[in-house]
Amino acid sequence: MSVILDSKVPGGSLESKWTDHKFHMKLVNPANKRKHSVIVIGTGLAGGAAAASLGELGYKVKAFCVQDSPRRAHSVAAQGGINGAKNYQNDGDSVQRLFYDTIKGGDFRAREANVYRLAEVSVNIIDQAVAQGVPLAREYGGMLANRSFGGAQVSRTFYARGQTGQQLLLGAYSAMMRQVDAGSVELHARSEMLDLVVVDGKARGVIVRNLITGAIEAHEADAVVIASGGYSNVFYLSTNAMACAVTASWKAHKRGSYMANPCYTQIHPTCIPVHGENQSKLTLMSESLRNDGRVWVSKKAGDMRKPADIPENERDYYLERIYPSFGNLAPRDVASRQAKYLIDKGFGVLGEEAVYLDFKESIGRLGEDKISERYGNLFQMYDKITGENPYKTPMRIYPAPHYTMGGLWVDYNLMSTIPGLFVAGEANFSDHGANRLGASALMQGLADGYFVIPSTIGDYIANTKLDKVTTTNDAFKNAENDVKTNVSRLMNIKGERTVESFHKELGHIMWENCGMARNKQGLTGAIDQIKKLREEFNHNVRIPGEANRINRELEKAGRVADFIELGELMCRDALVREESCGGHFREEHQVDGEAKRDDTNFCHVAAWEWNGSADKAQTRHQEDLKFENIKLATRSYK
Amino acid sequence: MDNKKPINLTLKVWRQQNTNSDGKFVEYDAKTVSPDASFLEMLDAVNEEIIKKGDEPISFDHDCREGICGSCGFMINGNAHGPQKGTTICQLHMRNFKDGEKLVLEPWSAKAFPIMKDLMVDRTAFDRIISSGGFISTNTGSAAEANSTPIPKPDADEAFLSAACIGCGACVASCKNASAALFTSAKISHLAHLPQGAVEKDKRALDMVAQMDAEGFGACTSTGACSAACPKEISLINIAKMNREYLRASITKKQEMAGGGEG
Amino acid sequence: MLDFLKSTVGRKYIMGLTGLVWMGFVLAHMAGNMLILFSTDAFNAYGHAIVSNKPLLFVAETVLLLTLIVHVTTAISLTIENRAAKKSRYAVQPTGVKSTSWASRNMGFQGSLILCFIILHLITFKYGAHYETTVNGVVMRDLAKLMFEVFTQPGYVIWYVVCLILLMFHLSHGVHSVFQSFGFLERKMQAGLKTFAWIYALIVVGGFLSQPLYVFFIHQ
Repeated sequence: MSVILDSKVPGGSLESKWTDHKFHMKLVNPANKRKHSVIVIGTGLAGGAAAASLGELGYKVKAFCVQDSPRRAHSVAAQGGINGAKNYQNDGDSVQRLFYDTIKGGDFRAREANVYRLAEVSVNIIDQAVAQGVPLAREYGGMLANRSFGGAQVSRTFYARGQTGQQLLLGAYSAMMRQVDAGSVELHARSEMLDLVVVDGKARGVIVRNLITGAIEAHEADAVVIASGGYSNVFYLSTNAMACAVTASWKAHKRGSYMANPCYTQIHPTCIPVHGENQSKLTLMSESLRNDGRVWVSKKAGDMRKPADIPENERDYYLERIYPSFGNLAPRDVASRQAKYLIDKGFGVLGEEAVYLDFKESIGRLGEDKISERYGNLFQMYDKITGENPYKTPMRIYPAPHYTMGGLWVDYNLMSTIPGLFVAGEANFSDHGANRLGASALMQGLADGYFVIPSTIGDYIANTKLDKVTTTNDAFKNAENDVKTNVSRLMNIKGERTVESFHKELGHIMWENCGMARNKQGLTGAIDQIKKLREEFNHNVRIPGEANRINRELEKAGRVADFIELGELMCRDALVREESCGGHFREEHQVDGEAKRDDTNFCHVAAWEWNGSADKAQTRHQEDLKFENIKLATRSYK
Repeated sequence: MDNKKPINLTLKVWRQQNTNSDGKFVEYDAKTVSPDASFLEMLDAVNEEIIKKGDEPISFDHDCREGICGSCGFMINGNAHGPQKGTTICQLHMRNFKDGEKLVLEPWSAKAFPIMKDLMVDRTAFDRIISSGGFISTNTGSAAEANSTPIPKPDADEAFLSAACIGCGACVASCKNASAALFTSAKISHLAHLPQGAVEKDKRALDMVAQMDAEGFGACTSTGACSAACPKEISLINIAKMNREYLRASITKKQEMAGGGEG
Repeated sequence: MLDFLKSTVGRKYIMGLTGLVWMGFVLAHMAGNMLILFSTDAFNAYGHAIVSNKPLLFVAETVLLLTLIVHVTTAISLTIENRAAKKSRYAVQPTGVKSTSWASRNMGFQGSLILCFIILHLITFKYGAHYETTVNGVVMRDLAKLMFEVFTQPGYVIWYVVCLILLMFHLSHGVHSVFQSFGFLERKMQAGLKTFAWIYALIVVGGFLSQPLYVFFIHQ
């Protein structure tokens, strides 16, 4: 039976909600904090920041990550920047405008109160990062520098060359390592969460697999934070790191946490095109490049001339043509869709699935030195991967799965439908609606981790009767047994096909049917194909080696199994959402190639409830979205 | 466009079950490798063949595959991260190799980096060096307005160049002494270049160097191998800076007052 | 202070400091000995002047001996630890842009031979045959005669040349490294420093080499 979810957004004016809410929260006194423990899954921007901040407050924190060091979480790869409504450029920015841009960028499918809070704390994040010694770019006068990103007409993006994510993550990581040194954070690297333990209806712990010894371990706590990132790897080829998985979220989903808007995925317009069958991942070329690069294709379909041979008047700078007010800085979903649209019509450059991103004009205007200072590492990376020099020939780019706006459903406090289970960063669904604007992921991860979770967890702990539990409790024993059973089930299939081949096949199904454009027929077919794939996986996957030691294939198999189940849900979600919004583009619902929303029937969040087995379809619940401060409007960047 | 003709290679790979077991070299063929493939994609394909034969694939650390997470890294013919300068293995592409080449793949060698399996090593020593002092002690919420302290662009740029370290361990691996001086100095120097980091700079230099030594890394003898192998081309001047910081800190070491600050 | 001396960084300073003393010494030693190319009397007078100033000689010899002992023992302790830290050597050695200079990789080998050289050198000259001569009415040791005697033997000359070339490598890396250890190295100085180190090493070793070669090929 479908229920209407309560987002627990506090009352009062939009501007005062967060401040008032914080004031009304119950506090845990410092001496008592030491008695409370929190588990944090994932050590990227959200998880690392949460673990550090909770540790500073005095909680006993256990942080888990699958990598060998928390510093390697995939936040590290974010290139372009982080938004902050500082208005240092005096170009008309404000918290209100960042809020508005984000709501509009998300195609009016995000919760107003959450987005406003995000914009509000964005300024504190910049302060925090600078205080930690994050070397953000500066002007000659010593002040912080900014650049522009898609979907905004102001310069509010702070950056550290093309390595902003790395620098911010190292900031959060160093803050966390300081707490490790202080003894308040206990670090468990090379550990993968394989189940959530729910006791008396509350999240009280996790079961993890030690990826070195293979041991299945139980850990108890008073609250659990999942900050394990997004699920773009469901497409096999994406810009995500190889270990990025939905597993932690999916295990929580199976224990009762609703999965919201899984079909909202972001296809980033500027990635290096696919080169061959053996390709393992796609590489992003930061959106910041669109500050100075111009996107174009030949005006003639099937033009096989080299870029240098195509004269200026035979080039179609299509983003500038279609979206004169935003030009090359049109939002990601829009830019990706236009690229796909033109390529499908035969305008792909050199007959490939690619369009040009050209720096000739800006190199002429600013000089190669300036361009190199701004994007040097990106140009170098492009050169290494493709063997072509982007200072001389335009980059070839193509859209690629990059980010997932969907995720575990959370209320205003970032608590999921399981009390005591909090979800932060990309793993939750909260702030980006149906499309995320560039430089907002770093902002959201850090907002959740530094500023939201540490407050709301305190409120939860102070308000909740938490009986002492130990890992000898039945719920822990049962979960532990379930995990062990599942591991040995996978090991004992001893089939013929490699894990990789299943993942590739799933990715192919998802990319074709649930990628940049979706339709009813494709999605229905995909659901059937995925079901068959799941069947085959369950009796034909081959995992060599043993479970009681390092076994990368076993790790991958577990993740792929979860991706298969998720893929089916994504298609189902996309099928039910009979509208186009942001990254979700249903071919049946469009006007001149632009997304056509249906606010009458779909101005809500879809949150799916697991029904006990992959063979039973999940139940769809709704959270209605109310727009009280921004008028629902057709999104236009023209 | 480059030559797209596939190449064939012979790989001699170090296989070791776990830290305590003995390892040995095993030869594999990498057939019809696309020059556009990355080195790790080539290894993926070799692994798929190994799995199909029913054996255990070659284990190696890797994650982002875009040269920034620092997970990957092993020796290719004695070169940390392979022959190309300023490149991680995941960003090394097969067009840098010739048809018929024989490549020897070995894990990082250092007492402080025990081998875990095949080409995987344990680099947690780096985390312990950072937790000994590689941070600025500022709690969430206590930060001042970001633009209240202007930082000269050259200082910010210099700090950035040091902070670009990805912690992959190639510096240690390429050093004949397995010295972690480049890694440790990059962090010391990153934070010492910024006014925010200046307050704790003495303590940081002393603690981090002490931890570096305690982990069993060797001494720097300025061969420059670290910087040459570094995928982010971190400069040797960081080591100079660390030495200077450490010397000053050792001379001016202030006594910590017991019980200070208690009201 | 003990922590400083025990640390790898601290011992690096010790190596540098003691090395610096010897860098100054070899430069001065080389410069003074150049007199042999011009006048045997001047050369002998110069040697006599040095040994006549007993307090200065005592201080200089003590400083040199102590710094040498510290330099060598520190080097030995570091080498032992560094070998242990590396655990095992790779099957293949690096090539191309990632390889390092021979000099920097073999400081221990060069140092060991140079140490042997220093000992033999002292036996040959300082404690060698004592000839006498008179310069400007002053009776003094005729070191020039001893030098001519030694450097007309091909075996000696070859041994000297080999050791001096090793010294050149040792100095070229040592000078570069000392600025590294002392933390003087700034970004813009980086390229120049290597050149400077090589020029210094070439001057010192070139000067020293000219002496036996002059004796062997020209003087006799």
